Amino acid sequence: MNLESFLLLSLVLFSLGLFAVLAHRNLIAVLIGVELMMNAASLNLMAFNRFSVTDPVTGQVFVLIIIGLAAAEVAIFLSIILNLYRTRRTIDAEQLTELKG
Amino acid sequence: MEPLSLILLTTVAPLAAFTLAILLLMQQPRLAQIVVIGGGTLSLAGAALLLFQGPMAPLRYLWFTSGDMQLRFGFLFDGISLMFGVAVALITLCVMVYSLGYMGHDPSKTRYFAMLALFEWAMLSFVYAVDLLQSFIFWELVGLASFFLIGFWYEKPSATAAAKKAFLMTRVGDVGLFIGVLLVLQVAGHFDIPGLLAADTGLVAQAKPAVLTMITLLIFVGIVGKSAQFPLHTWLPDAMEGPTPVSALLHSATMVAAGVYLMARLHPLFMGSETTLGVILVIASITALLAATMAMVATDIKKVLAYSSISQLGFMLLGLAAGSLFAGVFHLITHALFKALLFLCSGLFIHHFESNDLAQIGRRGGRRMRFATAGLLVGGAALAGIPPLGGFFSKEEIFAALGQDGVTIYSIVALLAAFLTAYYTFRMIFLVTRPAHMEQPAPEDHAHGHGRAEPWSMALPVLLLTVGAAIAGFWGSAIASGLGIGAAHHSLASMAPAVLVVIAGVLLAWMDFGRQSAARVGFIARIPALEKLFNNGWYVDAFYDAVVVRTTMLIATILHAVENKLFDGSFDRLGFSVLGIGAGTTRLQNGWVQFYAGWTVILIGVAAAYIGMGG
Amino acid sequence: MMGDLPVLTTILLCPVAALVLVLLTPARAAHVVRWISAASALLASVLSIQLWRAYDTVQSGFQFVEIIPWVQEVGISYHLAVDGFSTILVMLNSIVFFTGVLTMWDLETRVKEFFAFMLLLVIGVYGVFLSQDLFFFFLFYEIAVVPMYPLILIWGSGNRDYAAMKLMLFLLAGSALLFPALLSIYHASGLGTFNMILLAQKSFDPDFQIFVYPFVFLGFGVLAGLFPFHGWSPTGHVAAPSAVSMLHAGVLMKLGAYGILAVGIRLLPMGAVYWAPTFATLAAIGVVYGAFIAMRQTDFKFVIGFSSVSHMGIVVLGLNLAVLGTAGQDALNGAVFQMFAHGVMTALFFSTVGFIYDRSHSKTIADFGGLGSQMPRAVSIFIIAGLCGAGVPGLASFWAELLVFMAALKTYPVMGVAIIVGLVLTAIYVLRVFSMAFFGPVNDKWDGLRAVDLQGWQLLPRALLVAVLLFFGFFPRVLLDVIDGTTTHMLLVF
Repeated sequence: MNLESFLLLSLVLFSLGLFAVLAHRNLIAVLIGVELMMNAASLNLMAFNRFSVTDPVTGQVFVLIIIGLAAAEVAIFLSIILNLYRTRRTIDAEQLTELKG
Repeated sequence: MEPLSLILLTTVAPLAAFTLAILLLMQQPRLAQIVVIGGGTLSLAGAALLLFQGPMAPLRYLWFTSGDMQLRFGFLFDGISLMFGVAVALITLCVMVYSLGYMGHDPSKTRYFAMLALFEWAMLSFVYAVDLLQSFIFWELVGLASFFLIGFWYEKPSATAAAKKAFLMTRVGDVGLFIGVLLVLQVAGHFDIPGLLAADTGLVAQAKPAVLTMITLLIFVGIVGKSAQFPLHTWLPDAMEGPTPVSALLHSATMVAAGVYLMARLHPLFMGSETTLGVILVIASITALLAATMAMVATDIKKVLAYSSISQLGFMLLGLAAGSLFAGVFHLITHALFKALLFLCSGLFIHHFESNDLAQIGRRGGRRMRFATAGLLVGGAALAGIPPLGGFFSKEEIFAALGQDGVTIYSIVALLAAFLTAYYTFRMIFLVTRPAHMEQPAPEDHAHGHGRAEPWSMALPVLLLTVGAAIAGFWGSAIASGLGIGAAHHSLASMAPAVLVVIAGVLLAWMDFGRQSAARVGFIARIPALEKLFNNGWYVDAFYDAVVVRTTMLIATILHAVENKLFDGSFDRLGFSVLGIGAGTTRLQNGWVQFYAGWTVILIGVAAAYIGMGG
Repeated sequence: MMGDLPVLTTILLCPVAALVLVLLTPARAAHVVRWISAASALLASVLSIQLWRAYDTVQSGFQFVEIIPWVQEVGISYHLAVDGFSTILVMLNSIVFFTGVLTMWDLETRVKEFFAFMLLLVIGVYGVFLSQDLFFFFLFYEIAVVPMYPLILIWGSGNRDYAAMKLMLFLLAGSALLFPALLSIYHASGLGTFNMILLAQKSFDPDFQIFVYPFVFLGFGVLAGLFPFHGWSPTGHVAAPSAVSMLHAGVLMKLGAYGILAVGIRLLPMGAVYWAPTFATLAAIGVVYGAFIAMRQTDFKFVIGFSSVSHMGIVVLGLNLAVLGTAGQDALNGAVFQMFAHGVMTALFFSTVGFIYDRSHSKTIADFGGLGSQMPRAVSIFIIAGLCGAGVPGLASFWAELLVFMAALKTYPVMGVAIIVGLVLTAIYVLRVFSMAFFGPVNDKWDGLRAVDLQGWQLLPRALLVAVLLFFGFFPRVLLDVIDGTTTHMLLVF
């Protein structure tokens, strides 16, 4: 296994996530896309950590933080979605345009 | 007495009267009249005493300094100013007294009398001015005062229009005068009139001939405006919209006289430039003739007199331009007397009959008014140049001056104009005094509140001026010696042509209007085209309306459009386009999160690609 | 009376103290606010007269210097001093301030806020005329400009949103040109000081001067109503309440001209000389152009607004001719005289038009007719102002125009003749207003105005302004003696 294959996998994951974020109107799907992108980033970090950094701890710390943040983020995101659903009866991103200029 | 206190008496008294009347006496017209007439009397006394003391050294005071330029004001006491000062003060006082009756029932009497005082102050200060710029300042103030007086009945649109026209047309002339005065400063470095006129160090010696010609021509432009010479003469006939006593003042001793006076004042300068004299001769003779033709056909008594003023002013300038200071000044003074008289007489008629129409005044019994008729006869005869009245001698001097170099086109034109003068003057006299038939005086004639037809306040000035106009002709040698010139004696033979044309004019008028069986239509009516031309004042006004006024307004309209569309408009467009850009970018802010995110990704992609390629 | 009293600071403190007091006064006590403003204006006027009398015209130059270092690291100090020009402009501001307060005596809406903003404006104007420190100069300049926006927006009439915004954008655009220019002057001097007197002694590199001068000139020129950047000014006049128009046309526009003089010409003389022909032409066009536009206006205030463009053109023309040498003294004397005369004259114009508008609620010329018989006093006063505008002798403007025209004729004969012909145009638009609104058949619609013509207190500010115009019309020396020495001083470098 070399660095390129890890990066390629991470690129695929990131692109899938990005596609989900940009193209899906359902906020849950968007959330899943965001998660995928984060995982792609984590994978990237770990790969670089494995192949080019002497001290392996550095990358692992980053990734652990990302995982922690992701968990927190999911909690907040889901609660927002729930609230939105309660008040608006929809979780369609295109219809939630309250912040329009 | 000290010349200073006398001159202060002369000039400040009317100013003080004006100030008092306008500030404090608005509600007490009776008191205001007394104050103004008192001021006028003091002023006359001062001027008369000054004349009595004879020429004196000028007084000069520093007005202000700007850099090297020192501006002085002061008073000049030489023959011209002393004599004309008295004429101004005398005629103004006559007009003031006359106005007691004429304006007796006007609700804004105070304003009227105050403006008369202002007029007198401005004119006297102009007459005695020692400094050219001071002259210009009071010249303008004379114009301003006449603006207020012509437009005195400001509720009448025609009066307002006439006042506006007078102000603007004289202003056009003043532009020339102003530039001329400033050029004088540039060349001479000062404005002192005696200094400018001095033979050895004055302007004539200092300035190059071309510059001198330019200066005198520019000053003459001012005179053309003020003294109503062709082509800026059209304001004067309209100016009769003002009260008649004002016309008397305007046409005789003030306003229009200011132009001639200025030329007399600066006579040596004008004598220094042949070209200017030539131009003046041409303009003045055109004016004298043109205005006389218009007077031939006018039916309004004041219009006849107004055109005759224009024509006579042309005569004065002819005399001055022909080189005779004496002829010009003499005619200026005699004309002032008889023209004031004629206007005051016409005022009596107008006041009584409430009509300006010559034929109507005649029909309704004009000749029954004794003072007015006597004044009209004497003044008219003086205007026509019947010996031995005022106008004859002064006009004779002008002919003599014009005839110095043999018979020229100008002397022929002048004779022709004199012939027409005699004709139109007697046309006026015959129309008033010898109507074809006369109406019996209606009993209600006295009922409309004017009381006596000729109250003393009005008759007295008329009487005084009648005597003045009658004897003024004999003052010739006194005036000549006042000017420091020996009076020339003219042989009877040299007077012959002038006398003959006058007799011819009177006879023709008699044929047309005087005799019992006369048609009472002028001979000119047989040439309708000419009559139409004269009636329309040679279409000068029509030309102004069609060309000058329209062009000015067109430029204003175009510039107004330019302002709105181009200058102001483009800044507005700039402002609004910024707003437009704002509105455009607002639309990007559509609230759709994924739209933002998509753009973010694209832009980051572009940035990454750029860095990737560059690095 | 002057003694050791720092008179300039005291003058500046008059409106400052009044502002503080006004802010502390409860809004209900409108009358107290008016009296505080009037008292401070009166005090400032008295002090200005004293300043005028105490100013030594023989010595000329800067006098009554007060200097307190403020931020020494960058060379900013609180530095007040007056020369002949600022002495008379301070006087002008006092006159307009005092008469402006009296003009707004009858104001009923949000009195406290109005006078607070007005005082702020006045502070700014005094500050500019008194400051000899470039930093404070600019600071006060902005203080003077900014209150115009709320003053027009809240108390204005007609199209006020548009007018206020337009005015603000133009003036801020001017400031945007100025600010970098002033900073670059500070930098290029290498002296590390904002002291304008020291900066004036430094001769900057000619190329630098030629590059920076247009920024300074145009930046201030916008405020002086320079053609073609004058669009904000008539619109602003029309929408603003009377006293604001008075201050605006009377003194604020003079700030622009004074800025050109004090910063542009004094600090960058070579730049001024280089650009003078161009800018003189622009100003001369403005003189004639403004007069033509004024002829076509239907609103009193627009006529006056464009007449201001025309008359301020004379000031700017004079400033430019001043540096060209041939008749510099007369040109500069005339320009400064015109600043004063025009200030008083427009104040009178707006004070009177404002009065007529307050009574009739109409500013349209054609609405009236024969108003002279209904409001004889107001109309007489307007006529005096109009005649002053037309350059009739006996009123102050005549001298200013005379001097500038004289210089123009000497320097550029053709231009001189053109602007003297412009005098006729001025007479045309002035007489047009007179004959349409004041003369002619009486319009019965306004018969109600007979009872409410100027009287008592309302007459005071207008009569005062008329008196000033007449006084300097007949005694120009009083003013010229103060100006002349400073002019000589200033033109030494040319």
